[in-house]
Amino acid sequence: MSLLDKIKSMDRNSNAYTIIYSSVMVIVVAMLLAIASTALKPAQTKNVETEKKIDILRSIGKANGVEHAANKYAFVSENFNKYIPEQLVVSSKGDTITGVVAFNVDLKVEMSKPIEQRNLPVYKAKLDDGSIKYIIPLRGRGLWGPIWGYIALNDDLNTIYGATFAHQGETPGLGAEISTPEFQEQFRGKSIFQGDSILTFTSVKVLKGGATPNDPHGVDAISGGTITSKGLESMLFDCLVAYQNYFEKEKNSISHE
Amino acid sequence: MSEVKEKEPLFSAKNLKLLTEPIDSRNPVTVLVLGICSALAVTVKLKPAIVMALSVIVVTAFSNLIISLIRNSIPNRIRIIVQLVVISSLVILVDQILKAYVYDVSKQLSVFVGLIITNCIIMGRLEAFALGNKPWPSFLDGIGNGVGYGLILVIVAFFREFLGSGTIFNYRVIPIDWYIKNGGFYENNGMMILPPMALITVGIIIWIQRSRNRKLIED
Amino acid sequence: MEHLINIFVKSIFVDNMVFAYFLGMCSYLAVSKTVKTAMGLGIAVIFVMVITVPVNYLLNKYLLLPGALIWLDPGFANLDLSFLSFIMFIAVIASMVQLVEMVVEKFSPSLYNSLGIFLPLIAVNCAILGGSLFMQEREYETLAEATVFGLGSGIGWALAIVGIAAIREKLKYSDIPKPLRGLGIAFIITGLMGIAFMTFMGIKL
Repeated sequence: MSLLDKIKSMDRNSNAYTIIYSSVMVIVVAMLLAIASTALKPAQTKNVETEKKIDILRSIGKANGVEHAANKYAFVSENFNKYIPEQLVVSSKGDTITGVVAFNVDLKVEMSKPIEQRNLPVYKAKLDDGSIKYIIPLRGRGLWGPIWGYIALNDDLNTIYGATFAHQGETPGLGAEISTPEFQEQFRGKSIFQGDSILTFTSVKVLKGGATPNDPHGVDAISGGTITSKGLESMLFDCLVAYQNYFEKEKNSISHE
Repeated sequence: MSEVKEKEPLFSAKNLKLLTEPIDSRNPVTVLVLGICSALAVTVKLKPAIVMALSVIVVTAFSNLIISLIRNSIPNRIRIIVQLVVISSLVILVDQILKAYVYDVSKQLSVFVGLIITNCIIMGRLEAFALGNKPWPSFLDGIGNGVGYGLILVIVAFFREFLGSGTIFNYRVIPIDWYIKNGGFYENNGMMILPPMALITVGIIIWIQRSRNRKLIED
Repeated sequence: MEHLINIFVKSIFVDNMVFAYFLGMCSYLAVSKTVKTAMGLGIAVIFVMVITVPVNYLLNKYLLLPGALIWLDPGFANLDLSFLSFIMFIAVIASMVQLVEMVVEKFSPSLYNSLGIFLPLIAVNCAILGGSLFMQEREYETLAEATVFGLGSGIGWALAIVGIAAIREKLKYSDIPKPLRGLGIAFIITGLMGIAFMTFMGIKL
């Protein structure tokens, strides 16, 4: 008590008072913020995870109705467990890497590594009719910042079953259109390899001025969103090219079964 | 005299004025030219604008309250730093809470929550009001100014969302059949979702307000 | 190199702090009545931006990001201090502004005379904090990128304030409806300038 009184009686403009004041302030603030941050962390992590799951489910069209679900978290985790029975991490050589959980792989970190060292996550989805889809995560750069998404392939590992894209801050009405269902719908049925057999890897092109309806590799670019479209195109290529060997191996193993 | 003051009701005429004045005749945005920064960029849709407005109200009210509570103990030399620390701690709290409970909106707001720190309204009210007044009036003053600011945000967002996307709170107001692509006659005004239209909308709000209230006209 | 030029040009014209994000509007509207003072404030902002964005970049990379403290001890790999970033950034900005003020005063009194009065204003200029927050949000990968972004954003802001000041000087001779005078017309002109700047959006680099 006497110490407190002493401090109280100090001159408000003296150095000692200022120093004590600021130290106390820093400690109090740091403690408060640390407590708040630790307490809210689980809820925040859950949000991030749920969102990732929604994105993955969306690429196979299983996230419909999530906006109206009574309990978003339960809805998402139930569907995720139901439709995504298996997830694995592969290397660019096509071998399975053990000891890494696909869901926890940070694509941002992986994309900055050279291709040979990347951990490449694959989600295998099993739909109601028993068909298997391969979901590959994507990440790249748009005009203003990162863009990302998931692309689901049929079990020929060539035809696109569905795709979903998201962005951080592309121009509304222009680049931001990549996150609309209308744009994403165009990807369905396009193929990522040239020709029937495994010939050349081409990925999907985002064509300005509109793709011809029969073009197996082209979708319409977003008018006014040229840089975002270009970014999307190179994201598709950069991410998918690393999986080439894996696709190869997986295709052989499927055809031998 | 002090006894009379203690008995002053919580919402006396004087205190009420603190709440209502900043909404119109002393509006922080359109009259005092404070705090336009940071927030107009979130007015494309109503929902983020309202969340932003609420965040600003919380921060102005509580920073005013806290600073007013400790106003007699703050060393003069580090006054600004103390204010900044209080404001930024509150903003961090708000940001963390938004991230935990309204994640999708917090993503839309992105850096603009952080920019509440440098919102001149908050600093301005602390300096001009909270440092010299009791906690309760300071709190009211904070709420009043936050509301005055939020009101502008919401008005701007209303027009931008309505004219730019044809929706209000993401509910479709303009029937989908009206659109040209569905054989109708209507087209959204794409200009409204672009940033410059927010400025022009504020300009028009100021014009209307000053035409009504001629005392505010500058020479 | 090409990438850096891209960031530079984009942060001046396309990503302009004022026209695209409304940052630093308070001082933008308050100090834009004459070209001379606008120029002074503009230069001061460029100056502070070039210093604070890289400093905050380092701070973010080696202190705040999840696992950033790993250089200190591998045990810190899971430590995430990013919730402190707002307070750290504003502290860096406030102290940098002080430091710059002192250094300029000591070594170049003439520069101090022209810039000095603006420096304290800058600590609470949203554009400065915005620069650091955008740097963090957009995940610039190298120090060079962050510096170039800081420089570009500063120049973009300066360009905007000098531009509006020049227009407002001429505006004195125009017959504007009374209720629109001053603030109202300044907003509308800023909006029109923003629309003009949007033509840069399509540039390919």
